Amino acid sequence: MNEDLSVSEHREIQELLGVYALDAVDPETAALVERHLDGCIKCSMEVAQHHEVAGLLANSGGESPVGLWDGIAAQLDGSVPPSWDRLASQLEPGDGRAARMVDVGSDEESAQTADPAGAGEVTGPAGRDATVVPISAARRNRWILRGASLVAAAAAVVALVLGAQVNHLNHQVSALQAHPLLSAAEQSALKDPSTKQVQLTALSGSSSPAKVTVVLTAAGTGFVEVDQLHSLPSGKTYQLWGVIGGKTISLGLLGTDPAVVPFSVAGDGSVQAFAITAEQSGGVVQSTNQPVVAGEVTA
Amino acid sequence: MVDVEQASDANLVVAVGRWHEQALAEVYRRHGGAVHALSRRILRSDPPAEEITQEVFLDLWNHPEKFDAQRGTLRSFLLARTHGKSVDYVRSEVSRRAREEKTSRETATAGYDIDHEVWDMAVAEQVQEALGALPDELRQPIELAYFGGHTYREVAEMLQEPEGTVKSRIRSGLGRLRINLAERGVQPAGAEQ
Repeated sequence: MNEDLSVSEHREIQELLGVYALDAVDPETAALVERHLDGCIKCSMEVAQHHEVAGLLANSGGESPVGLWDGIAAQLDGSVPPSWDRLASQLEPGDGRAARMVDVGSDEESAQTADPAGAGEVTGPAGRDATVVPISAARRNRWILRGASLVAAAAAVVALVLGAQVNHLNHQVSALQAHPLLSAAEQSALKDPSTKQVQLTALSGSSSPAKVTVVLTAAGTGFVEVDQLHSLPSGKTYQLWGVIGGKTISLGLLGTDPAVVPFSVAGDGSVQAFAITAEQSGGVVQSTNQPVVAGEVTA
Repeated sequence: MVDVEQASDANLVVAVGRWHEQALAEVYRRHGGAVHALSRRILRSDPPAEEITQEVFLDLWNHPEKFDAQRGTLRSFLLARTHGKSVDYVRSEVSRRAREEKTSRETATAGYDIDHEVWDMAVAEQVQEALGALPDELRQPIELAYFGGHTYREVAEMLQEPEGTVKSRIRSGLGRLRINLAERGVQPAGAEQ
């Protein structure tokens, strides 16, 4: 790089910072300045200072119009935030927008998820059936999401959103043991001090309450315990995802109204995070949907 | 959990990132008035100002990651977004005709009086003083560009000054204004609680 030219360009851009901060430049000039700002902290800070001053000029301190909020809130109700992309961009330096997951939903995949091998069925407390499809290691490999950025983004999702808590087995065991649907295996797992619990939390402050716990043993056996989650309509299913070794993997379908669902993870169960999405019946290889709940596994 | 009313602006944005609608509502409660007033002041019309106000908060909802607390307050961020959108509207074809009609009736120094409007915060007086302390040649181009939504080239034409001069004066004026405000103890708008 020609250093003299760089200095010259820097000075030229500096002269534009005031008018740029006041949006008093044409789009081409604005783009020129913005390219410079991307690599110049000093100029970025100056623009920020100009914005602060301009903010003071603009500051009326008036009441926020109530009617306007109603309009904003109404639009929130109908919006579906692009969660995976958005969260990834918050956590992943550089390209954080690579996490677009694709809903395949092909017959092949539907057939795949219907593979009876390892599948089970759990009857919910109200007598409703919840299809359970634990995915074997071999099959799980087919669910591995392609692309490192995708994986990182999915990991980012869980890392950011979740505010999750992972507790080693403790006094909460007794409460969990009281669940009528806990299998003997799960109860046994809960007694193991190496077993982890991950609280999956809702991603939005919506009116949809959710209370989901994942119990994961060191051997890789896990249980999803759903205490509170809206039932899905026919034709839909909840799908469990795990971030393992930096890759986002489907861990199984949970059905429309899950209660307690077992699953397994190959190896030592080094899952970094869990998330549950709502998908079409049969599940998807990659999801475009916002996780309903998610939680990060911490040491 | 921290009550949204007690949360800092930065924490509210984090909560917005987690789709907490109440957090966005609190951000709106704190800054919606300033956002709307700025847009209305630039556009001089309520319907588009309301539309832009909604856009600003919906943008925050959809892209909270664009706010960087290290680079300024939430209010200055929101107002900068508001200003950009308002200016885009002013310069759009939709408003061109009305703007041209208004421009024909206005002079460079009239129509953007900064002494009126809705300055009802205590800080407004200090801000006015700081602005008034600027020499006219620094104050006028700032007012025309910021509140008028004009490009600096347009301002240069209106003031019959070279473009480079206007460009420099706006930058110098903002710098001087910042110093004037600091001398009066005025903190950036929307400073963290």
